[in-house]
Amino acid sequence: MRLPILLLIFLASLVFVEVTFAKQTSPSSGSALNDDFDSAFADDPLSADVQLISDPLERLNRGVFWFNDKMYLYFLKPVARAYRVVPRPVRKSVRNFFSNLSNPVRIVNSALQFKFADAGRETTRFFVNTTVGLGGLFDVADRWGKIPKKEEDFGQTLGFYHVGQGPYLILPLFGASSVRDVSGLAIDSLLDPLTLYMSRHWSLLDKAGYRGGLAVNYLSLDDDSYEKIKRDALDPYLFMRSAYAQYRVAKVAK
Amino acid sequence: MRILCVLLFMTLALPGYAMATSPQEQVKKMIDGVFAVLNSDQSAEVKRTEISGTVQKFLGVESLSQRTLGVYWKKGTPEELSRFMALYVKILERTYLNRVDDYSGGTVDYIQERVKDDKAILDTKFVSSKFDIPVQYKLVQKDGTWQIYDVLIEGVSLVRSYRSSYNEILRKEGFGGLMKKMEEKLVQMEKVS
Repeated sequence: MRLPILLLIFLASLVFVEVTFAKQTSPSSGSALNDDFDSAFADDPLSADVQLISDPLERLNRGVFWFNDKMYLYFLKPVARAYRVVPRPVRKSVRNFFSNLSNPVRIVNSALQFKFADAGRETTRFFVNTTVGLGGLFDVADRWGKIPKKEEDFGQTLGFYHVGQGPYLILPLFGASSVRDVSGLAIDSLLDPLTLYMSRHWSLLDKAGYRGGLAVNYLSLDDDSYEKIKRDALDPYLFMRSAYAQYRVAKVAK
Repeated sequence: MRILCVLLFMTLALPGYAMATSPQEQVKKMIDGVFAVLNSDQSAEVKRTEISGTVQKFLGVESLSQRTLGVYWKKGTPEELSRFMALYVKILERTYLNRVDDYSGGTVDYIQERVKDDKAILDTKFVSSKFDIPVQYKLVQKDGTWQIYDVLIEGVSLVRSYRSSYNEILRKEGFGGLMKKMEEKLVQMEKVS
């Protein structure tokens, strides 16, 4: 029980830190922007393709990809479609509620990367959405306060400390990931009050149910994006692998 | 899971008008043009044909193909390359058309334009009730007009994603194999719509 108290002290200190640091954050300087500009064109268009992620487990990954594809098409998607009888705003609130609960993950990971202004913003979001947003059901911090959520996880924190993504991994039901990001997930589950509680009091079946529920809720708000990728890509596996690696690299850089 | 959302957006921004002076004006012209068709009262089929013919003009097809093929651009024969470009444009156009409905009702904020010599980067944000996503355009000036050759959605480059899959197919199956796959894909894509 010591952990929640420590966490609270940590949060409180961050609020203080935010006040001090928010003033210091200024927009990026011109030279930084120019470096960014030059590096965006630095690659030779006719050079060999630089793989951002290695994939020694491709055969296994493709197997899991196939499994996920079938699970998606024949189970998760139909359930999500039926679940759409629940009004959209309610489903959005479900998403907001769990996202708000996992807020400590974003606060701690921002702080670990010395992004104190971000940590402060996430702390503010947490307090505003938990109180005014009725326990996190409404993201009022974003809608009214114009403080949008900024995703930070331990995978990104590791990236910040120059840990590479490691081999590409596709997790059953969860989807694209990497060795680095999987270890990140494990750490993050210790920072999320709900998963922390679950790990002590819930059975494996309960946890699977919770994850499945979250996935269904997410898919119910999604517009067939996976179907579209599958329809348009020559090899959806390769396309998604590249997109995942780039997406994570961009996340780390932010 | 958010990656799906990103991928969905990868095809938002393909077309680009030639003529305007600044990269931003150019991109704005193209987006306004597409949105005007999208928000009109015509049937989905009419909208498709209206957007369809114009898409190719907007793109720097050669720059785009070069960057997609990478080292294989130099390895291909002129016939292979021109056949590849024709197929590639069709695939991009189909992808765009199959998804274009998702973008009706949204607006685009223009955030920042950076120009240096014949290259430009334009940062925008697509805002709708469903999404709120940063979209970055890369443009190159050719024959006095700005042409779009890449689109990055939340840091994911369209060209780069295509390149890594196409290069792997090229490596294993060569130009013949790649183009056979592309042709099959096109048949399949046209069946859907």
